[in-house]
Amino acid sequence: MGVAKGADGAGGGEAARVTRQDIRRIAELAELAVDEATARELEGQLSRILDYVAQLQELPRDGAPEPDEPAVRLRRDEVRPDPLLVPPDAFAPALRQGLFLVPRLAELAGGASDE
Amino acid sequence: MTDARAAARAAAGRISDAERRGTAAFLAWSEGALLEQAEALVRSGATGDLAGEVVAVKDVIADRQFPTTCGSRILEGYHSPFEATVVRRLREAGALIAGKTNCDEFAMGSSTEHSAYGPSRNPVDPTRVPGGSSGGSAAAVASGAVDMALGTETGGSVRQPAAFCGIVGIKPTYGRVSRYGLVAFGSSLDQVAPFGKDVRSAARLLAAISGRDDLDATTLDRVPLSADALAGPDAAPRSLRGSVIGVPREYFPDGLAPGVRAACETAVATLRGLGAEIRDVSLPHSRYAIPTYYIVAPAEASSNLARYDGVRYGPRLADHPADVRELYRVTRGRGFGPEVRRRILLGTYVLSAGYYDAYYRQAQRARALIRRDFADAFASGVDALFTPTTPTTAFKFGEHLADPIAMYLSDVFVCTANLAGVPALSLPIGRSEGLPVGGQLIGAMEAEATIIRIALALEAATDARAEVR
Repeated sequence: MGVAKGADGAGGGEAARVTRQDIRRIAELAELAVDEATARELEGQLSRILDYVAQLQELPRDGAPEPDEPAVRLRRDEVRPDPLLVPPDAFAPALRQGLFLVPRLAELAGGASDE
Repeated sequence: MTDARAAARAAAGRISDAERRGTAAFLAWSEGALLEQAEALVRSGATGDLAGEVVAVKDVIADRQFPTTCGSRILEGYHSPFEATVVRRLREAGALIAGKTNCDEFAMGSSTEHSAYGPSRNPVDPTRVPGGSSGGSAAAVASGAVDMALGTETGGSVRQPAAFCGIVGIKPTYGRVSRYGLVAFGSSLDQVAPFGKDVRSAARLLAAISGRDDLDATTLDRVPLSADALAGPDAAPRSLRGSVIGVPREYFPDGLAPGVRAACETAVATLRGLGAEIRDVSLPHSRYAIPTYYIVAPAEASSNLARYDGVRYGPRLADHPADVRELYRVTRGRGFGPEVRRRILLGTYVLSAGYYDAYYRQAQRARALIRRDFADAFASGVDALFTPTTPTTAFKFGEHLADPIAMYLSDVFVCTANLAGVPALSLPIGRSEGLPVGGQLIGAMEAEATIIRIALALEAATDARAEVR
């Protein structure tokens, strides 16, 4: 019993094995810094957990009640800023790295901005 | 009404004693705050179902008086600008909030060993864990510091520590209690859940926090439960004649600790002696509960915990980030502990392209099957199910820390009720080698009153401190 794996659907039937590359990819998606030692540890731990949860593959995919889930349109796995109708630099008085610069609360009177 | 000033002073003394003994149940508490609340209550002349009762609150529930850290470094020193509906309801009922209790980080864990602020100790045996994730609240009640405490459940985090500490914990039906102000972990599973030193205390606390809340669209459109109806002087039945209690065979596997099995057999005999009909039932998909839970809950957590980035909440843990994304990544990498990091990554993995169908969608199917098993059992005429709460008694510190799956399996009998949404409770049913054993009663959707009634009868007929044979 195994879990079909890989974005391309390749490797179906083998037990899940999380690679260093997988860890880097999901850490990037999760915006989480993971050092090498931790990544090595996570490879083994996540592989073992995924092997364990793979027993769900015994359950039939047909005949089982379908989850209460309308047709979900899944978005692509990519990290990107939230889209706005008008780009922020078109209306923001001050902007850096996509973030609005605003006055420090304590310095509002002086009109200083938080650099 | 309890004399609120005296109650506050006495509770402060007991909390102080317990903390001095090293229970480490509280992350924040203050005698001054307790006395101030008591003064305000006396001055207002307010009366309520919990007037003068001292209640401890798990630190994943927002409160304005104390910080809300979720047992995490990433929220160290964070003060919520608003309070949870359950806290507001406790204050309106006249309760005095003792402080915030320790827990596994973001409620992810079964022992409190995953708290960034160190573990709490089991008052029955300080070399053992109190269970988790709501272990601080359980230890606060079991140490005698308070009679009632709020915990939260996502996969058994109140019933498991209740069993380990020899107290009562009730997981309400999903939607019975507002989640507004509860820091989200797995939103389709999370529920605030009460602990009590006995069934009556836990039931009174449940009544006070229950009922529809306009601030949480997932609450059921129901009036609050009545404390008198649930646990008033006449609530405990002398007989259970006419009640049918199902005993699901899947919850008594070969590996069950002998002391836990013996205590459960005694409890079932007691229920039969009280007049209940005992029926063998099957919940065949319960064996898939842990794998299902460890896909669904981390998937939801990976999304819910995306908000902790060093910008919106808590401290920034990156010294000189090159850009804003490095600020997020370093803050999150340093701010989250190992178990939370593991679950965020696991959740991200099972939701990512190519894996969604194999893991997340399949887990949703399994969840529907688990839910159907419960519905079928209750539709067959069973009023409640009786099972052990945990496969073993409280384990020692460090025993499961290196093996996440061994830790997860301590919740094998409790997480099914979370997946199905049904109410369940744990009450002490005896001791094995000096350690408390918990028995679990599971009810149909919205049938809290039924399981509490049965629990009151079983409690009255049981010597929970007696060693099982």
